[in-house]
Amino acid sequence: MKKAKLAALIAATVSVTLAAACSGGTNAASGDKAQDNTLTLASVDQGSVEEVVKAFEAKNPGVKVNFTTSGADQYQQQIRTQLASGTAPDVMSVWPGNGNPGATYVLAKPGYLLDLSDQAWAAKYPEAVKSVAQYDGKTYNAIFGLNGIGAVYNEDALAKAGLTAPETWTQMIDFCKAAAGKGTPAFALGIQDNWVTQLVLYALVATTVYADDRGFDTKMQAGRATFANSPWTTAMAKYQDMDKAGCFQKNPLGTSYEASQQLAATGKTLGLVQGNWVIALLKKQNPTGKFTIKPLPATDNPASFVMPAAAGAGYGVNAKAKNKELALKFVNFVMSPDGMNLYVKQQGGVPALADTGFDLDPSLTELADYINQNRTVPFMDQLWPNAKVQQTMLSGLQEIFSKQSTPDKVLAAMDTDYKAGG
Amino acid sequence: MALFAFVVLVPSVRGVYYAFTDWDGLDPSFSFVGLDNFVEMFRDPDAKQAIWHTLLIAVSITVIQNGFGLALALGVNTMIKSRNVLRVFLFAPAVITPIVTAYLWRNLLSTDGAVNSLLGAVGLDSWQQNWLGDPDLALWSIVGVIVWQFGGYSMVIFLAGMQSIPKEIYDAAAIDGTGPVRRFWSVTRPLLAPAFTINLMLSIIGGIKLFDQVYALTGGGPGHATDTLSTLIYKDAFTLGEFGYSIALAVILTVIVAVASTGQYLVLARNERAAS
Repeated sequence: MKKAKLAALIAATVSVTLAAACSGGTNAASGDKAQDNTLTLASVDQGSVEEVVKAFEAKNPGVKVNFTTSGADQYQQQIRTQLASGTAPDVMSVWPGNGNPGATYVLAKPGYLLDLSDQAWAAKYPEAVKSVAQYDGKTYNAIFGLNGIGAVYNEDALAKAGLTAPETWTQMIDFCKAAAGKGTPAFALGIQDNWVTQLVLYALVATTVYADDRGFDTKMQAGRATFANSPWTTAMAKYQDMDKAGCFQKNPLGTSYEASQQLAATGKTLGLVQGNWVIALLKKQNPTGKFTIKPLPATDNPASFVMPAAAGAGYGVNAKAKNKELALKFVNFVMSPDGMNLYVKQQGGVPALADTGFDLDPSLTELADYINQNRTVPFMDQLWPNAKVQQTMLSGLQEIFSKQSTPDKVLAAMDTDYKAGG
Repeated sequence: MALFAFVVLVPSVRGVYYAFTDWDGLDPSFSFVGLDNFVEMFRDPDAKQAIWHTLLIAVSITVIQNGFGLALALGVNTMIKSRNVLRVFLFAPAVITPIVTAYLWRNLLSTDGAVNSLLGAVGLDSWQQNWLGDPDLALWSIVGVIVWQFGGYSMVIFLAGMQSIPKEIYDAAAIDGTGPVRRFWSVTRPLLAPAFTINLMLSIIGGIKLFDQVYALTGGGPGHATDTLSTLIYKDAFTLGEFGYSIALAVILTVIVAVASTGQYLVLARNERAAS
């Protein structure tokens, strides 16, 4: 009796743990044929895809879009499982470039995405988008919006503190000290969520690395440059200088992304370093507030500033889509001026194609100018060979802030992961 | 039994096969790499750290949660008036989904959260901490949240055990002139042996497999300061696309759970026999 109980117990624990870890197989999609006018769609554009689907259905009477939305982490897990098991939807969110589990290169390489090169919009992409929407010279990703990272200021809080947004690095350090002196620190930093750690660094790296060396990524790919022996070290040092100058509120590691939004929206800090997408979220918390995004000064030469700005997640078509024709129709709608403007308006970004006649939100004028003047670089991770480099950077930055590691160690670890390749 | 084999055993064993491959979870073409994934585990500092955190959490939870649960059970097993209300309140956290309580505590424990505000309000400013952002403290904050949630659960099991002890034994012990400490040690403790077995097994297995609370409270951070085997398995599989490696980690997790629970079971079963 005892023995049987024990055996059952062992079997139960073994199976529970294993079942949690295993999924997979390559079975083909089972069964029922989708009707000709039903499209399946999985999206990460929560809050904006709903409007786009509504407009698409209105334009194509009789068509029904079955869609699901989820957050990025969950989505990446779900889509990979669905693709591997042959149950993926016709159209799905795909990230630009490489470096994350749902990125264009990662999904196009094993042949899961349909070649979209002969669609009319594919030829119209600006260079910065083309490089991350293509794999092996073919276009796989319908990218509709661009996002930038910079200092987002709460204009009312600035006025109340009697300060103006800094234009140079030296001014910014003085600005931080003055703001901290008034009890309203310059920038809210919510790095309890580890993806937030990279934003200040990217904003600094854009200028310290790319202002003088636009070909840095090519050199990295050829093995002729490293993080540890490049101006990435300058950016790391400046990140720490900002911390020492009191640019951030107390305990950034105990502050979440949501908490940082609240600090900036309510004027407890004068702003935060984030992507333009945060502006819509800040306005939700403070509808009468006025927010603007500007480049984060990294040197004393404003003429050399570069902003990180990149293609946001777009849409790819499943190579085994059940309803290919309708899938293409949807993607083409997303890339039409109507669809693109609808998306961008909901998300608070900048359209990926120049000729949509989009009426830009005034908070984004400076970012749009930088994009038009080609003074932007893609988010750094989009051109990295694997997802590990970024994860090492994210946890490494948390370790630097909690004194468990140093910038030199983290950059060296990123180099090791980079060299491990894809 | 056939159903169990088909639904659980076969997929589990088939899954183990992937631990010996370099499958990325997506690409149908992958190759057999032998024991490479297991060798890598002994080189990977993140894996070693995660195993250490896992054991630390499992042992702490087992000891603290059951100590706490036992104390609560002794408290509400008395004749105090509010005992029924107290039992309900103390058990209540255990019926909430762990992910919900974890997100709740993430807010309560944030820098400007309720815990620090409360400490400030009663003049204990020096006790205010960066609960989840300090790498030396974050792990213990997680343990605290779990004990808060499941202390009442252990209590209920102990309480059930206590109430099944015949009152006559206590009466006899009282006639023999024993004090409350002696009564606990010589009567309650041995007769609670089955309750101890259940509680210790459940908390050690739960502690080793711990995922939800860690993922919601700290995401394994700051850095890797609170990564457990389960959070690492998740990250390796779904963020880094290293499915083969993460399944190898899962196999190790399974072995640890099996060894720890079997070992514990054998010891506790002997105790039960000795007590009866």
